[in-house]
Amino acid sequence: MHEAASPLSRTPAVSARSRVLPLLLVATPVLLALWLVIWPAAEAVILTFLVPGEGGTEVWSTANYARFFGDSYSVNNFTNTLWTTAVTTTILLVIGLPLAIYLRFAKGQLPATVQSLVMFPMFVPSIIVAYAFIRTLGPNGTVDIFLHAVGLPRMRTPYLTPWGPVIGLVWDGLPLTVLLLLSGLGNVTRPAVDAARDVGAGWLAILVYIILPRMRSSLLVTLSFNVLGIFSSFTLPYLLGPAAPEMMGPFMQRTFGDLQDVGMARTQAVITFAVCLLFGALYVWSIAKGRTKSAAGGKS
Amino acid sequence: MSLLSISPPTPSLLTRLLRRTGGADWFGLLAFIFLASTIILPLVVVGIWAFAEVWRYPAVLPQRFGLGFWGEMLARRDVWAALTTSLELSFTVTALSMLICLPAAYAFGRMEFPFRNTLFLSFLTLRAFPKFGLLIVIATIFLNLGLVGTFAGVVLIQLVDTLMYMVWIPAAAFQSVDRRLEEAAQDAGATPLQVFWHVTLPQSLPTIAAAVILTFVGTFYETEGAWLIGAPTVTTMPILMISFINNQLVIQYGAVLSLMLWVPSFVALMFARRVLGGDAIARGLGG
Amino acid sequence: MARLDLDLLGKSFGDTTAVAGVSLNVGDGELVSLLGPSGSGKSTVLRMIGGFERPSSGRVLIDGVDVTHVPPERRPTGMVFQSHALWSHMTVFGNVSFGLRLRRVPREEIAKRVEATLELVGLAGYGERLPNQLSGGQQQRVALARSLVLEPKILLLDEPFASLDQHLRERLRDEVRDIQKRLGITALFVTHGQDEALALADRIVVMRDGRIEQVGQPGDIYAAPRTAFVAGFIGAMNMLEGAITDGRILAGGLHLAAAGSGPAHLAIRPEDIEITDSGEDGHVTVRRMIDFGSHVVIDSSLADGSHLRLQTTKGVRVGEGERLGVRVRHYMVFAEALRDPIRYRGAGVDMLPNMELNYA
Repeated sequence: MHEAASPLSRTPAVSARSRVLPLLLVATPVLLALWLVIWPAAEAVILTFLVPGEGGTEVWSTANYARFFGDSYSVNNFTNTLWTTAVTTTILLVIGLPLAIYLRFAKGQLPATVQSLVMFPMFVPSIIVAYAFIRTLGPNGTVDIFLHAVGLPRMRTPYLTPWGPVIGLVWDGLPLTVLLLLSGLGNVTRPAVDAARDVGAGWLAILVYIILPRMRSSLLVTLSFNVLGIFSSFTLPYLLGPAAPEMMGPFMQRTFGDLQDVGMARTQAVITFAVCLLFGALYVWSIAKGRTKSAAGGKS
Repeated sequence: MSLLSISPPTPSLLTRLLRRTGGADWFGLLAFIFLASTIILPLVVVGIWAFAEVWRYPAVLPQRFGLGFWGEMLARRDVWAALTTSLELSFTVTALSMLICLPAAYAFGRMEFPFRNTLFLSFLTLRAFPKFGLLIVIATIFLNLGLVGTFAGVVLIQLVDTLMYMVWIPAAAFQSVDRRLEEAAQDAGATPLQVFWHVTLPQSLPTIAAAVILTFVGTFYETEGAWLIGAPTVTTMPILMISFINNQLVIQYGAVLSLMLWVPSFVALMFARRVLGGDAIARGLGG
Repeated sequence: MARLDLDLLGKSFGDTTAVAGVSLNVGDGELVSLLGPSGSGKSTVLRMIGGFERPSSGRVLIDGVDVTHVPPERRPTGMVFQSHALWSHMTVFGNVSFGLRLRRVPREEIAKRVEATLELVGLAGYGERLPNQLSGGQQQRVALARSLVLEPKILLLDEPFASLDQHLRERLRDEVRDIQKRLGITALFVTHGQDEALALADRIVVMRDGRIEQVGQPGDIYAAPRTAFVAGFIGAMNMLEGAITDGRILAGGLHLAAAGSGPAHLAIRPEDIEITDSGEDGHVTVRRMIDFGSHVVIDSSLADGSHLRLQTTKGVRVGEGERLGVRVRHYMVFAEALRDPIRYRGAGVDMLPNMELNYA
């Protein structure tokens, strides 16, 4: 039947197939993401506002959150996480931005070597980072050995203090921070900087008026990406941080795994969502905007 | 940019660097020294520990070198079991990820369909949530489904983690294949399937291979999901490592394990990065 | 207002020499063009004058003051970049006023000066636009205004019209020339287009491989190129390979008087060849006739197969395969023994009156 149909009558069938086929091809990963990201997140938000009421019914309530914020231990963990995130992100930007600017505009053997060094942590799993940290900065570590060799007292080790996770996370986060900043610096051309110098701008004026304004979206992405990553980091805080106050990652894990308090763990997770919501939205927004702009420009 | 050129700063390297820059690049030199001592030195320390049979504080170098702990590690049943589990997991997750993501990537890269852009961007939500919080809420769901503590549960949670890389990077690769190459093949009489097999796929293969390697290595070292969903029945290499670090029984165990695991993955990642370049990775993350 | 002197200026990147000891004196209010193929070092010279490259050797003097080690932000030079390099996040006003704001010039004066400069470049009223709302030509005018508003002693232009189409380029270069003359500003202009150099410059500096090949007024360089390279680079030129023996050069089947000996190039401008007659015993065979309206160019082949271009007045008609007799009015001979020295120059009718062609 279909073989006998005229080309004209076949055309709609073909175009219908060509519309459905791609949707079928993308269906599995999209559905998987829906099932394992969107749905759990949405469900968790709703469930945390429900508490058992009389007669086996569930009632709307903020009791879970009251419990979390009423508990000084939880609040300490929460503020400790905020502190770690702020400090780590600041340090990453303070180290990463000059490095990225240097790598963008310098030429030669030395910048290439520096770039290799900056990218190196990307190839080191965080578990090995943690181990190397302990052996270097931990008690009786390499730094202590050096200090002893030159006759100085031992240092106060950051291992198992709030500074432990900060150092580990900075180490771990530097490559991507520099990469993201570098990709933003791609918008700043050498002639644009030269032209600014030509009209009399010093390095500070160039940074403030020429470079930073053009990097706004990449700074946002870098900031969001780091905040999202650090706020819910687990391995490094778990291995390098203090037992109390701990960061939200290990705290949630303990609540879920050791205390088996599923409801509380869910509440803690939703609280991390809420804090990261702003940054997550910023992240998606600036990328979506960038994609639309480049699509409009005819490039992908 | 060759990462293999990295070595501890020797005088000859330093003088060469200085000469190339005319001695004026003080920032670069400072950055080099800072990064070399903070990034390379700790890893060198791990390397020394792996071959130290006796190293008592405060000696600058070990009292005795040797391969003794390597033999001990290789004889441990739990090491082999964790390695097997990790490899099984990585292969399963990577294969599944390829199976579901590559066709989707092709569709995103080469086809027009409704909601294309929205669906494509929807994968960003995977990164817009703080990962560990998300893992916790997934775990609460898996708890009800009886997936906690099972191999399948770990596979699922690690699979989600791979989606964005395995869709975005190959989609860009398919998209960047020059249409004219395909049209030329069509012109020469190739059917659509032949065009795909002989032109589109080979052209995008290096990038896809790099994405697959990133997925495999990433899964191998994935710690949080495996820890949360797999514990206590599914023990992967990183989880074994954590227990070695936490229990601190023998310092060298951690060092030997680090070195054993890291060297092959480093080579694989180097290859992936050579193909992709930093820019592609940054773009894969939306930079 | 300002003189510019380059004293044995050199620049090398690693092992490669980009500029090898260039010396040049530019007078007050003069517009000098640096002309050469890409890689000739002309842009590097300009960037060294602007302070963007640190010279490996030599000095840059502005009004006799050594500025070799002064950074660009403190040099009295203004540069217009090839890619115009406008700051796309600032308005036209923002771009032009940036340098004045850095110098903490009072607001009212900034407004006045920016307005005057925008009017000078023909962009009055465009202050609030963003660069990407402007056409390519307008963007380049903004870049020019941005440099001029600071009243630099020396204006540097680095292939400023390279990204514009032919029509716009010609219009803009006339405007730049007008503005430069009106302000009496000393200017250096880098280009690889000979038309641009011939049309704009008071003097042309032809560069090649980091060295100056020749400096002179446009007409002189065209009429009397000092080297075979300059001869081939400026204007259309027939370059025939040959050899000098017994006071004559034999090249491409042509046989002409020349001094010296050894391998040499015979250089003849298309308009210096005159058609004498048509017939079977002619010297050249017509391959193609190209009618430009204002003149006619004939592409012909010589006895040994090499090409010879002739330019003649409009209205001339010849057919393909037709044989023509020709007469050479001017020609030059460049011997190869040294690096392009002149061995001989046929200085026209006086020295070689209506030289007849002889076959070897």
